[in-house]
Order: sequence, then C-alpha cells, then structure tokens
Amino acid sequence: MNGERKDPLGKRLEPWFFISPSLLLLLAVGLYPTVFVLYYSFQNWTMGMGPPVFAGLDNYINALTSSEFLGSLQTSGLFLLITLPVELVLGMAIALALDQTRNRTLRRLVQVLLVVPIATTPSVVGMLVQLMFNTQLGIVNYFGHGFGLSQIDWLGSASAAFGMITATQIWEWTPFVALVLSASLATVPGEIEEVLTLDTESFWARFRYIKLPYMRPGIVASLVFQTIFTIKTFDMIYSIEKGGPGNATVTVSLNIERVAFRGFDVGLASAESVLTLVVTILLAQAVVSFLYPARKGAGA
Amino acid sequence: MRRVLKCAVVGAAVGAILGFGMKASNADPWSLAQAAVPYKGMTVTVVGLDRPSYKAAQELTPEFEQETGIHVKWVNFPYEDTLKAETLNFVSHSNQFDAILTDVVWPVDFTKAKWVVPVEQFLSDAAIADPDVDLNDFIPVWRHAFTVGGKLIGLPFDSYAGLLYYNKKILSEHGFSGPPTTWQQLLTDYAPKLYDPAKNLYGYALQSARGETQTADSFTRFLWPWGGRYFDAAAKKMTLDSPQAIAGLTFRQDLVKYMPKGIIADDHSQVVQLMGQGQVAMITEWSAFYPTLKDSAIGNDLGVAVEPTGPDGRYSAFGGFAYMVSAQIPNPEQKATWLFIQWLTSKAMAKPLIEDGAVVARVSADTDATLDAKYPYLKPMVETWENGSVPDWRPQIACYPYFSELISEYGSDIETGQYPVAKGAQILNAKLQQYMNSSGCWNSINLPQH
Repeated sequence: MNGERKDPLGKRLEPWFFISPSLLLLLAVGLYPTVFVLYYSFQNWTMGMGPPVFAGLDNYINALTSSEFLGSLQTSGLFLLITLPVELVLGMAIALALDQTRNRTLRRLVQVLLVVPIATTPSVVGMLVQLMFNTQLGIVNYFGHGFGLSQIDWLGSASAAFGMITATQIWEWTPFVALVLSASLATVPGEIEEVLTLDTESFWARFRYIKLPYMRPGIVASLVFQTIFTIKTFDMIYSIEKGGPGNATVTVSLNIERVAFRGFDVGLASAESVLTLVVTILLAQAVVSFLYPARKGAGA
Repeated sequence: MRRVLKCAVVGAAVGAILGFGMKASNADPWSLAQAAVPYKGMTVTVVGLDRPSYKAAQELTPEFEQETGIHVKWVNFPYEDTLKAETLNFVSHSNQFDAILTDVVWPVDFTKAKWVVPVEQFLSDAAIADPDVDLNDFIPVWRHAFTVGGKLIGLPFDSYAGLLYYNKKILSEHGFSGPPTTWQQLLTDYAPKLYDPAKNLYGYALQSARGETQTADSFTRFLWPWGGRYFDAAAKKMTLDSPQAIAGLTFRQDLVKYMPKGIIADDHSQVVQLMGQGQVAMITEWSAFYPTLKDSAIGNDLGVAVEPTGPDGRYSAFGGFAYMVSAQIPNPEQKATWLFIQWLTSKAMAKPLIEDGAVVARVSADTDATLDAKYPYLKPMVETWENGSVPDWRPQIACYPYFSELISEYGSDIETGQYPVAKGAQILNAKLQQYMNSSGCWNSINLPQH
C-alpha cells in the first residue's frame, strides 16, 4: 500500500555490526603502522637522541638526494626486472606441464613439492645457500671438483653475489607463480578445451585462445604479488650476503633497515618507506593497467 | 684456690663475652642470600647472545636462583639484533629487559640517553654491594672500556682478545718452529710457503664478511698496527686517508692474495671451520673460539699465540661485552638485577664460567695456574689485554652502528678490489667525515683511558 517500505536503521546497521570486528582489526593491524610511518616521515627523530621534532619535507628531500637510497632502489629495480619475467615464464611452463599431466598422483606430488620453497623460512633458505655455495666449504664446489670443474667463487664478487640472490629468489618464488597459474588453468571448462582439441592440434592455438585468457587473472595476481614480494625481500638477502660485498646486494629493504636500525634515524627511514610504498603501488598499478587496459566505453 | 677459681670463672666469663662480641661483630657478614631477601620472587630478565659465554652463564644460573629466590629469564639474540632490540625496549619504555648487554662500542649510546644506571650507585649501597666485588681484579683495559664520562657503567662479561691460532703440525712440516711474531713475517715468509691451492692449503685466512666482522676483524686489524687511526677527535677530522692507514690496508690487499678464494664472504664460523679442517694454517680470531678449535679435527695440533706486531707495535683485536642495569625499571628490580650481574661477574664465578666455556676478564681466574695449564689461550689472552689492547680500538661514539656500516661497505669494496686502496680510503674517509659532521657525532666521542 505504501510502496517500498524502508528497512529500519537496525536492519541497515546489521552488516556493519558483523563486519566491524574484522574491520577494526584490519585498521589496527594495517592502517596504524602506515599512519605511524607517515607521521614519523615528517619528523626529525633519531632514537636515543631526544624527542621527535617536526621536519617538514626534509626527510623526503634527504631520501631523494641520498645516493644510498637511490642506489638501493636501482638494485631493487634490477632485481625485479630479472626475477619477474623469469619467474613468470618458468612458472607458466610448470603450470602448463602440470595441466598436461594426466597422472593425478604425479600432479598432486609436484604440487606439494612446489610448496616447499615457498614454505621454507627465507632466512633458512639464505643460510642453506650460504653453506652450499661457500667457495671452500660448500657442497656445490665439492661436487663440481669431483667432475673436474675448477673452484667457483659464488659469493665473493659483486656480480656473483647479485646473481646468487637473484637465482635464490627465482628458486623460491617460481613455485608460487606456478601454483597460481595452475589454479587458473583448472578453471578452463573441459568442453571448451575438447572442442578446440577437435578443431586444432596446435598447442600454440590452444594456448593462445583458450589457456592464456583464462590464465590472465592469475598472471595479474602473480605479477602484482611478486612485485610486492620482490621489493620487500629482506631476510634471504641479509642471511646470504648482508648486502655485500660492498653494497652489491643492498636492496631498498636492506637500506631502510640500515637507516632505521643501524643509524636509528626513524624519520629518514620512514620517508624512504613511504617512497618505496608509492613506487610499489605505481608498479603494481602499471602491471594491472598493462594487462587490463581500460576499454573505451566499458561499463556504459 | 677459691681465688684461682674465681679468677678462672671471671676469665671464662670475660672470654665468653669477648668471644660473643667478636662473633657478634662477624655475625652478619655480607651474603648474597641475605642481600636478596627483599627481592625474593622477583624475575630478572637478562639479554644474552647465542655464544658460549652465555650458554655457560645460563647453565650456572640455577645456582643464583637457588641461593636468592630471584628468578632469572634469559632472552637470547643474534649479535646483529641485540642493539636494535635493546634500543626499542628503551624507546618504547616496554621494560622487557632488566640486565642490559653492551658491546664495547655501544656504551655511549646507553649513557647519553641515560638508559642505564652507573655502577657506583649500587656499590655505594652496603646492603647490595658485595665487599668482595674487587673491581681491580678486572683487567684494567676492560674497566677503561666501560667507563664513560669518568663513570663505570657496567661489569665486563664475555671478554675477547684477538689471538693468533696456528696449526703446529702444518707449520712444522713447512719448516717453521713457531708462529710469526710480526705481520711482515707472516706475509713474506709464511704465507707464500704455505700457499698451495692445489692441495687446498692456505697459510692464513681473515674473516671478512660484510657487517661488524668486516669492520672489527678485517678493517680495523690492519689499521692500528700500522699507526692508522679512525679520527683525530680534537680536530674533528677523519684520518682514514693517512699514509699509515693506507699502508695497513695495502698490506691487507697483499695478504688477501694468499688467502682462500671467497674469503670476502666468510664470517667467523667459516674461517674457524677452514682451520678446523686443516685447510688453513693460521687465523686471527677471538679468544672465545678456542673451545671450538680445540674440539675440531686439528685440536691436538692447535697452538695459540698473541697476534703479530705491525710497524707501529702490537694492537690486537679488542671486543667484548658488559652487563648494565636498566634505568627504566623500578628501584627494587634494579637492585635485584644488580645482584645478578654482580654474582655473574664475580671472582667466585669466573673459574666455573671458564670451565663451562666462557671467557672472562678476571685476573684472578685468568692467571690461575691450574686453569692456565688446562686452557692455553688464557696466557696469550691476558698478555694481549695487558700489552696489546686499546679500549677504543673501534671508536666509542653514539652513532657507531651506522659508522660501522660505512666502514663495512667500503672496507669490503676495497678488499674485493672494487676500489684501489688509496681511492677507496679517500672515499670512505669523505663519507665518514660527512656523516660525523651531519649527525653531530663529534660531540659524543668517549675517549677512554689507555
């Protein structure tokens, strides 16, 4: 009679009531540290040397003119530029190989094995790499010597050390990409694949027109996560090389740790953290925009 | 007779009174158990490291708990994380730790921020000061190392001297009757003769991994003996580009040529292992590594000596720790913490600690004939502390951790040949000068008595 009856206020607040504990927790855990870092990025504060003093943009100016910070960003950029495509290609190859496998037991076994590198604590990975690739004491050179190979200095030069952390990162995170893409491939409807199999025997055609489109969300998710993970990488690099030799493996995370906990300069470290966060968001956004270009008229 | 008896009775009575009186005056000598009564049931949280001295201390801690009724909770950290954890404890006023551990290069950080209580405050309190604390029994260089602004701020524990460990068998097989006494001998006589990569044999290995190892064990070791110094405090000027400093670092480069490949990535554990496996004839390492080397495959051939001398004399590596009382905890907890620190670093505990694998700076224990016979590293260790150590071997400044990071970065760049020595030293010198100027650290230098 009265047309649509409006829900009472209590009814409308009901979802908020249920969601509020998680929301508050998320705000406390996620937002508070970010606000804290943002606040201190505008303060001049060295721990143990008096209280914080407002510094305006000084910390940002110092960060953007610091050769250490810019150098570490460059190292992280190179690290990302090498690891990301390699992880994607290898991860995709593993996912496709798993998809082709008809043996279910083998597929399950490989999937479980793929979890091992991801689940291993990065500092333990770093320690194992350091032990295995030690020039004199490591097992890799020991076996190499057995095959008549000369001793390789895996960790002792700037380029070798950077190569080693890059290889370790790829070893550790390729399985993540493989598992995500494998999950995407599992969403390909069987009948579509069957139809195309009847239509063409070309692997490339099936890949290009069926599998790749279904993998696209997985690729985007992998690349976004991997961009974030790679820029954040700390423990593995620290336990292998501590940033050395020289500053060959000082990535942006290691540099921020140095500023924050060696120099105890909380203000500068916070500004560098904020800038790194901005760079990470921009990179992640770039990945999404590249793989999901905005379509004209979409949504109209 | 009666008179005699009377005299005897009176005499006995006087004797009894005197005896009682004497007994009464000795009735309450200071005892740990008595001093701890007010603090019974409290818990003292102690910062420790994953190193042998702390393992030994933790094994002996139940004795203290039993005697005092004070509980002790150990929280162990890797060395690299300790200062960070302690600083955060103070900055956040979280009062997680009561007994604070300071490296020989950190005391200024703690005292400048007034985070710790000077020792004299406890020593002047007769109720908790052990009359047998005997500070003079600590080797002088250690007392000086932990004296900031004229005040002793902690009691030394886990004290190291750099020593020359050598493999007697390898040296003898190559015609040497003993270890080198000068660095020059090591470079010109020993290193070339012992260098045989085909047989996986090297004369000397120097732990050089980036971090405090590069700064303390590699870089600084080749500074002082050549007459190089970090800075001229009065002139507020860094001096790492001096001819002496460059000579020392050039010497290190000459020596690196005879070391195992990949030495730049090797830390303490790797060089100790290289020596323990018989691949390296000599290393210069901390006294704390003696038990590890003694238990290795070359244990029976292990020799220990003082570090070689350089053109400017013998300046061996100097490092170690002290325990301090947090100024942020309530007074009763401070006193309970003091009782623990005083007990742990006491003369009485020094011997059992050494027996359990710790290294201590107590003269009475380190020069004990029985212990000396059992632990040959004690003699060269004391000799080093008495005649070859300076307390500020690494500078005592408030901004030491980042200062050390820069040394470590450019020190390893020089060692890998990324920069020629003179150029690397100049760049490092300029970087440190800029850092010291901008951080205001020139005003925080502690210059301990030599």
